[in-house]
Amino acid sequence: MIQLLSYRKSLRKMSQMQLFFSCVCFHLSLSVILCLQSALVLCMDVGFSMSNSEPGQEPPFEQAKKVIQKFVQRQVFAENKDEVGLVLFGTDGTKNRLAKDGQYENITVHRHLMMPDFELLEEIESELQPGGQQADWLDALVVCMDLLQQETMGKKFERLNIVLLTDLNVQTSADQLDVIINSLKKAGITLQFFLPFPLDGEDRADGGGDGPGPSAASARPGKGLSSQQTQGLEMVKNIMTSLEEEDGLEEVHTFRDALEKLSIFKRIDRRPMAWPCQLTIGSSLTIRIVGYKAVTEEKVKKSWTIVDAQSHQRDDVKRETVYCLNDDDETEVQKDDTIQGFRYGSDIVPFSKVDEDQMKYKSDGKCFSVLGFTKQELIRRHQFMGSQVVKVFAARDDEHAAVALSALIRALDSLKMAAIVRYAYDRRSNPQVGAAFPCIKEKYECLLYVQLPFMEDLRQFTFPMLENNKKFTPSESQLSAADALIDSMMLVEKDEDGESVDVFKVNHIPNPQFQRLFQCLHHRGVNPDDPLPPVEPWLKRALERPQAVSARCQAPLQDVKTKFPLKVVVKKKEQKTSADVFGSSADEPDAKRVKVDEEMEFNLAEIAAGNITSVGSVNPVRDFCALVRQKTVSFDQACQQLTHRIEQLLGNRSPEYYMKSIACIQAFRDQSVSSGNAELFNSYMQSLKRSVPDRNLQEFWDLLIQDALTLISKDEVDGSTISKQDANQFLAFEQKEEVQAAPVQEDTGDVDDLLDMM
Amino acid sequence: MAEWRQYYQNEDDEVEEDEEDSGGDYKISGRDSLVFLVDASKEMFIKSEDGETSNFDMTMQCVRSVYTSKIISSDKDLVALVFYGTEQSKNPRNSFKHVYVYHDLDSPGSQRVLDIDKLLGEKGAQFAEKTIGSGETSLGEALWCCSNLYSDIKLRLSHKRLMIFTCRDDPHGGDGAKDRQARTKAADLKETGVVIDLMHLTKPGGFDVSLFFCDIVSPPEDESELGLQIEPCRKLEDLQKRVRAKELKKRSQSRLTFSLGEGVNLAVGVYVLARTATKPSAVKLHRDTNEPVRTKTRYFHAHNGGILLPNDMKRAQVYGKKQIVMEKDEVDEIKKFDDPGLVLMGFKPMDRLKLHHHIRPALFIYPEEEQISGSSCVFTALLLKCSEKNVFALCRYIPRRNTPPRFVALVPQREELDQSQTQATPPGFNVIFLPFADDIRTLDAHVGPTASDEQVDKMKEIVDKMKEIVHKLRFKYKSDAFENPVLQQHYRNLEALALNMLEPEPIEDLTMPKVQMMDARLGPLAQEFKDLVYPPDYNPEGKPAAKRKTAESGGGAAEKKPKAEISEEELKNHVANGTLGKLTVPVLKDACKQFGIRTTGTKKQELIDALTMQLSK
Repeated sequence: MIQLLSYRKSLRKMSQMQLFFSCVCFHLSLSVILCLQSALVLCMDVGFSMSNSEPGQEPPFEQAKKVIQKFVQRQVFAENKDEVGLVLFGTDGTKNRLAKDGQYENITVHRHLMMPDFELLEEIESELQPGGQQADWLDALVVCMDLLQQETMGKKFERLNIVLLTDLNVQTSADQLDVIINSLKKAGITLQFFLPFPLDGEDRADGGGDGPGPSAASARPGKGLSSQQTQGLEMVKNIMTSLEEEDGLEEVHTFRDALEKLSIFKRIDRRPMAWPCQLTIGSSLTIRIVGYKAVTEEKVKKSWTIVDAQSHQRDDVKRETVYCLNDDDETEVQKDDTIQGFRYGSDIVPFSKVDEDQMKYKSDGKCFSVLGFTKQELIRRHQFMGSQVVKVFAARDDEHAAVALSALIRALDSLKMAAIVRYAYDRRSNPQVGAAFPCIKEKYECLLYVQLPFMEDLRQFTFPMLENNKKFTPSESQLSAADALIDSMMLVEKDEDGESVDVFKVNHIPNPQFQRLFQCLHHRGVNPDDPLPPVEPWLKRALERPQAVSARCQAPLQDVKTKFPLKVVVKKKEQKTSADVFGSSADEPDAKRVKVDEEMEFNLAEIAAGNITSVGSVNPVRDFCALVRQKTVSFDQACQQLTHRIEQLLGNRSPEYYMKSIACIQAFRDQSVSSGNAELFNSYMQSLKRSVPDRNLQEFWDLLIQDALTLISKDEVDGSTISKQDANQFLAFEQKEEVQAAPVQEDTGDVDDLLDMM
Repeated sequence: MAEWRQYYQNEDDEVEEDEEDSGGDYKISGRDSLVFLVDASKEMFIKSEDGETSNFDMTMQCVRSVYTSKIISSDKDLVALVFYGTEQSKNPRNSFKHVYVYHDLDSPGSQRVLDIDKLLGEKGAQFAEKTIGSGETSLGEALWCCSNLYSDIKLRLSHKRLMIFTCRDDPHGGDGAKDRQARTKAADLKETGVVIDLMHLTKPGGFDVSLFFCDIVSPPEDESELGLQIEPCRKLEDLQKRVRAKELKKRSQSRLTFSLGEGVNLAVGVYVLARTATKPSAVKLHRDTNEPVRTKTRYFHAHNGGILLPNDMKRAQVYGKKQIVMEKDEVDEIKKFDDPGLVLMGFKPMDRLKLHHHIRPALFIYPEEEQISGSSCVFTALLLKCSEKNVFALCRYIPRRNTPPRFVALVPQREELDQSQTQATPPGFNVIFLPFADDIRTLDAHVGPTASDEQVDKMKEIVDKMKEIVHKLRFKYKSDAFENPVLQQHYRNLEALALNMLEPEPIEDLTMPKVQMMDARLGPLAQEFKDLVYPPDYNPEGKPAAKRKTAESGGGAAEKKPKAEISEEELKNHVANGTLGKLTVPVLKDACKQFGIRTTGTKKQELIDALTMQLSK
């Protein structure tokens, strides 16, 4: 917050939207450079005047509480290592080191300096209540200074800061002011004020200074300040200017301002690490460089751990991975009895880890070697690979390297060329080929390194042409409609000075995934039994088209709508069935083709195999059919055995096994129809369907759809409770079924349940 | 160092995740299959005018390259090699004369590559003469045989393609009956979903497709593609390109709605045209039998040993010393913002697309007429207008359910053809992923020395010298010019093991700078540049010992504090204040050792967790 707000001055000129977001970005710049921690005391006025407000207005107390809450919340989720203390004044009780002889009364040190945690958040939520007293904010300031000095002794902090949240509505004794200012200076403590109203009367009149828009209008419109407040304001100005000269006043904020900015969780903050290396051109030309990862997709730092649902203990859950053979009994194999192998086309080649390490490609350590130079236009933007951009500077404090690299950058820039380099991070990492582009900025120059593809990474797909294709060629009027739409939806606008302003800067939007995650975590942490909250409105807004653009494009969009006929194609049922996939389509008039009659095969197999007693995994369909025919076991049992095999096969989640499963289901269905028993098949299919989302079997289900393997309807078997129509609709998923399926039965379709049902 | 290392691991993780991502979307409803039907007539063996390669040899080289690339990129695909017009016959039921099935439909393995090698070059021609020979031709029989190959496969085939390689435009020499039979069989094949392509090769006097083959091959995907008019392939490169363009079935990663605004929706397919190829993951094999084993992961209760079902488990994270628990469904729900799709935000001039705003390889979109008719027309209009106005479209992109949004730039790309009229770049939009604020790291830029006037002149001289160097070392970059040495080595190793070779064939590492050549081209330039820039005693390769402490400004990585044993009391304080995180990993590790805490993990959080648990007891 400190750093955040100290950048306000530079932000003044920015548009509202940018202001809103850029504070997050600016925040980082300081904390990167100053990697040491800071200590900060939040000092909040809880005195009775803080609870006063105009009707319909939120009392200053509540606003200030929110500011504190949001701030601590950010610190907690950013896992910031700054230490935070909390001092309240105007409390009914008194609890501080200085309190003596009626001095420093009604001031409570609520929390000593430590890293903020959830406990603090909960305390703020539940224990931070308005007090019934008033206390001198200067006294409170002194208590805070004392706290900072006492508790930072012997530790190293980059910055000491006190944040005062008050309405200044109390009599203060100004006699010690100079002493206080001096000791603040001496201790190097910085101050920030948060007030319910803006600093300047002028701003108050015209509605909120540089606060964003009309929503942030003066907190108390129409109401003047009390004499104490006016006096207090003078003192605040006095302190701030004597501490930091002119800029001091930049550190006085309104509650509302602060809230707007703090509602964004801190962005993930990682310190760039230096990668020193040498850029080489040929064998003799070397330039000492240092690289920094400048852009990369940031992931959430923490992953979810699995805990027991009852005890919420992680240690109660043990995870075990077993290896088993692909046979009937899924025979388990000890880990020590396994070796590793790789597929080489159709072969699997055993290749031990040791051998692999010995034979694998070895790079000779880190490098940044120029392979040659090429025209920038030959490097296609969409062929950038990898997940990062590295900025390459000359080695620090090496002016010769700086001159040499600068020469390279400028030469490349003026020739519009880039270097193609071999880049290897270190001995153990794979080498890359990439491009180093020159980048010249006002303040610095560097090379931008991006990875480029290897031959193996590219896929050459050919697409039918679009232009000059009679069917798709847009007419002149269609083209002009598209043209108008583009014009109306430009996200770059000219401002009053004629400079173009980007109104939708993606790189200023915090990653919504993190914002949402932290919001939910915080909510759940504070209210363990509540459902998750909705996405915050500001975040939703940030992901939508800017309103102005939305409004502007209405008419052109309508025009596009009328000029281009767009029609959702009603999906035709896919013609493919597994029959033609298996290649056994009957329409091939080939005498030589040996079409094996399936019935025949079963019978033959039956004879060959002797008595079949159970459904094995090798040929479950054959076994099942045999069992049903032999009637050695009941139909129910045969079905149960078959479904057991189906479940096993589906457990593999691989297309080959799917085919086998489909064959099983087909046989199941056929036998059920012929024996006039629809019940078992239908209930199995229904439970199978319920389990599809959980077991991620959509792909398999699609195959069922293709083969139209649906429920057995009344038309087929008398006993069925399913109408023809229901059967036809059964396979359709997504739209309605998902909603319907759930309430029918509360089981999530776990494997055991499926078997038990039989 | 630690972070860079971590970052590499990260990168690997990401790759895996991506794999999973697109894997999930891929609708693998079967395998692709490809049959090479190659003419083995005498004409195929005639060497071209320059006396280098025969059509047959060229075809074999091409087939070989498809085999090897299939092994690497899609080892599940099935490939067959069949010769027609042979002397010898060899096919499953030996019912067809003059058809020689060299390789049945199967996934290509190492042995097959070796088999092809036998057919290459001068020796190959002799070998072919001996084993298959040249004889009568009946394309009909050959096609019939191929259709049997397809029907013998018991796997689900998603895409079936047959490529005919020949240099004879009238294979039956006017025998009408044979022509008719071939046409019937071709029609039969096409009916079962097989796409037949003609890879016609040069023939003295020109190859006339209309004589016979126009009735054999499948009609082009769209009428604009005048497949039959193209020139026969003269060079191996052309042939390979043409085969490669056809050989891979293009599959969309997903099909999405692209919403321009309320109610105006078109359908697009999302394609991956470039993705980092990685070593395939290892398969676990049983030591005794070398048969693959599966893994099963189970969760069970630590105390009562009962198997835990998904319902018995929840997800948790710890923040600010508090464990926050959620259901698995909730964890998914948090990631849901909207339904999958592309939503147009607006347009920006191309110069607003920053070069350094790169976080992932790009995707590609192309309209899907089959989902929403009229999509292609709107798409084309947008494509033309965007490229004319030099703007890109900014969209919000949600690839699938329960996935948080990303913003992407849709950059127009118009179709480009190369000299041989093969598509070099397809028409459509490239989808460039844009970074969020979190993805951009703030660096304190190095400010170079400011040059005085006198230095400005010198600088100009230096830059000019560098320009000369750049000029000497320029080349034409092509994206497919570099092979990945790590992958190549891996496959050579496997090949060597699979074929019991003594040692793998050496690879050429194209990523290494050709230092000698570069030095030769530069001549004295390098020295001249160094004389201008570096003082005589300066050694850019040596590590300046005194400058070691520069790291302090670079991020503080090198601030290695002397190992400080930390007292139990201090530790307990840290635990109580929740400030353990302030300690460095080595200190934490030492502390763990000190208290005899065994930790499995090396991550900071794990160490902290272990210590907290021990010390808060």
